[in-house]
Amino acid sequence: METIIIDGLSFALPLFIMAIGGIYSERSGITNLAIEGLQGFGAFFGALVVVSINSASGVPVEKLFYIALLCAMIGGALYAIIHAVLCVNFKANQVISGVVVNILSMALTGFLVSQINGVVFGSVSDKFQLGVSARFTVPGLSAIPVIGAIFKNVYPFEVVIVVIAVIAWYILYKTRYGLQLRACGDNPHAVDAAGGDVAKIRFSAVMVSGALSGIGGMCFAYSISANFSPYIYMGYGYLAIAALIFGNWEIVPTLFACLLFGFARSGGYELAKALKLSSTFSDLTMILPYIVTLLLLIFFSKSNRAPRALGEIYDKGKR
Amino acid sequence: MANKNDNKTNSKPNIIKGGFIKVMGNEKWQPLTIPLFSILLSLIVASIIFLILGKNPISAFHNLLQGSGVLSKPNYASYKSALTDFMTLLDAMTPLLFASLAVTVAMRAGLFNIGASGQMLLAGFVSTVLIGYSGLPAVLAKPLVIIVGVVTGAILGGLVGFLKYRFNINEVVSTIMFNYIVQYVISFFINSYYVDPVSRQSRYINPEARLTYTNVEVGGLKMNISLGIVIGLVVAIVLKFFLDKTRIGFEINAVGANPKAAKYAGINVGKTIVSAMVLSGALSGLAGVTYFLGYYSSIQPRVLPSTGFDAVAVSLLGNNNPVGIIGASFIISVIDQGSTYMSSMSGIRHEIASLITGLILLFSACGAYIKYRINITKANLSRNNVKEASK
Repeated sequence: METIIIDGLSFALPLFIMAIGGIYSERSGITNLAIEGLQGFGAFFGALVVVSINSASGVPVEKLFYIALLCAMIGGALYAIIHAVLCVNFKANQVISGVVVNILSMALTGFLVSQINGVVFGSVSDKFQLGVSARFTVPGLSAIPVIGAIFKNVYPFEVVIVVIAVIAWYILYKTRYGLQLRACGDNPHAVDAAGGDVAKIRFSAVMVSGALSGIGGMCFAYSISANFSPYIYMGYGYLAIAALIFGNWEIVPTLFACLLFGFARSGGYELAKALKLSSTFSDLTMILPYIVTLLLLIFFSKSNRAPRALGEIYDKGKR
Repeated sequence: MANKNDNKTNSKPNIIKGGFIKVMGNEKWQPLTIPLFSILLSLIVASIIFLILGKNPISAFHNLLQGSGVLSKPNYASYKSALTDFMTLLDAMTPLLFASLAVTVAMRAGLFNIGASGQMLLAGFVSTVLIGYSGLPAVLAKPLVIIVGVVTGAILGGLVGFLKYRFNINEVVSTIMFNYIVQYVISFFINSYYVDPVSRQSRYINPEARLTYTNVEVGGLKMNISLGIVIGLVVAIVLKFFLDKTRIGFEINAVGANPKAAKYAGINVGKTIVSAMVLSGALSGLAGVTYFLGYYSSIQPRVLPSTGFDAVAVSLLGNNNPVGIIGASFIISVIDQGSTYMSSMSGIRHEIASLITGLILLFSACGAYIKYRINITKANLSRNNVKEASK
């Protein structure tokens, strides 16, 4: 039970922060299928900086985690500019732009990692080695039965994510900028009439989405895979999109969707272990989160309501 | 504001610009000229990357064409020639062609089928198990492989369409979920029942059932002859006719353009969505069988073919037009197939191939913007000409 909660949280929270990024972008009216690519590029940039610092000064990479996180945010936000320019300025099809950004990110990071490894670090490898970040346990709280597991073996990034998520929630629902952003997704013309700059708001929302996705990618790189390699493109970005649609484009329900994914995933692993099934059966338990999602969607998606102007190109002249 | 700038720059039209606009501005040819222009732009950017790496871009592109069999290499192993390489290229291109057609049909109906990969895998797996291991003679096995693949793909595609129409489940989410489910379930079955202990993949299928004839001796050469590519080209042309000239094709286009208007016009939107997804799934199924029972002859567990995602890009490059997609999938396959040879000849990492592909896609995504700029400039030019003539 404890492992289910511990592993579930460490999977759900990075997913959640990516989904929040997606919510920002989609609530502003820009469809964001690019999360997969954004998280990958963010993680690449963070890993690159950390590995460079490590080779220049010898500081172990595990200690540089917060720098990596910060750089992943910057990298993700910068890379998101491509999606923003295509969707906002060039009025491209947003779905297509998202897919292109993903494909380009995979190609670019794959190429750069092996090129940089070869030329700068003189090794033939397609990954940056990172290691797993240290965990901590909150004394006292972790002794509570069952719920105490939340405070046991916590990755530091989980705390960071919770803090950022609260800030993101506050900005989206309680500030003027958040109100304008949400209005952009439903009725951009009203925002325009009220003196808001739709293009600017949407552009910034996509960049926020890139920064938050970068955090998610970096956290996966520092926990599940312990390195940055092209295998970071496992499709978690798409999973985050599924979570936010499932969460009806609202932050709190999306958190529950992500927790559901996380617990179904870790629960599946534990189930296979508990039933002493051979390792091939772990494949069957792996499908649990996806089956659960589909079933729940069948019951709940009738009431699902996407932002009204989602995916529409904003044209001032159109009524 | 943009207009003002245009007027300023166009106040003294020069010959290069005029010529460029003349070539690009012809709206009838723009579906062809704009993708070509995108490719040209990406080749220029790729050349800059080659130059930064200290390589000669011309020879790199030459190697790319040689490696894929479009041009001749200086020397070949016995039984090999540019023709054998070219036949392999066609073999590799077939699944991509089908998958891109699948994405296109869905896209025409306003649906985004990102699950072509999952549909491919399921179709490939079911055909492998039912026909590939059956030991039927080739006359029966080959058509049956295709039929089983088409039906399997169509069922999964139709299910996605049904979920969309009946339960309002966004097709992007459901296809992603199916991608995972199919991938893991099939991995389970392969590892439990069909695994080859040496290769760690599924056992090779009976060659009788394979859609590619391998190592056929023709005129002193040993080549792989793909049956699928012939079917693919025919299907692409039939699909073009179907989408442009038939009633269902018209309904699909109408629903994709504006579902509300289509509903007012009396089109059954739900039925059209489901039938478009059935068709899309069937085409993915064809992609699956030509991939797993053609280009390859076994399935690697826990791996989703990337073809389904590349297909999204190809259909974009091909303007969602079946005939354009033939050309687009050819170009992407050339880059992909030629990369290994280019990498061995020039010492550039073969990952550059996917980077070039990515750049092509990036510029194709800007296609609408390029078209918009060109048409504005053209309008301004002609306005200026009228002004000068009247002076």
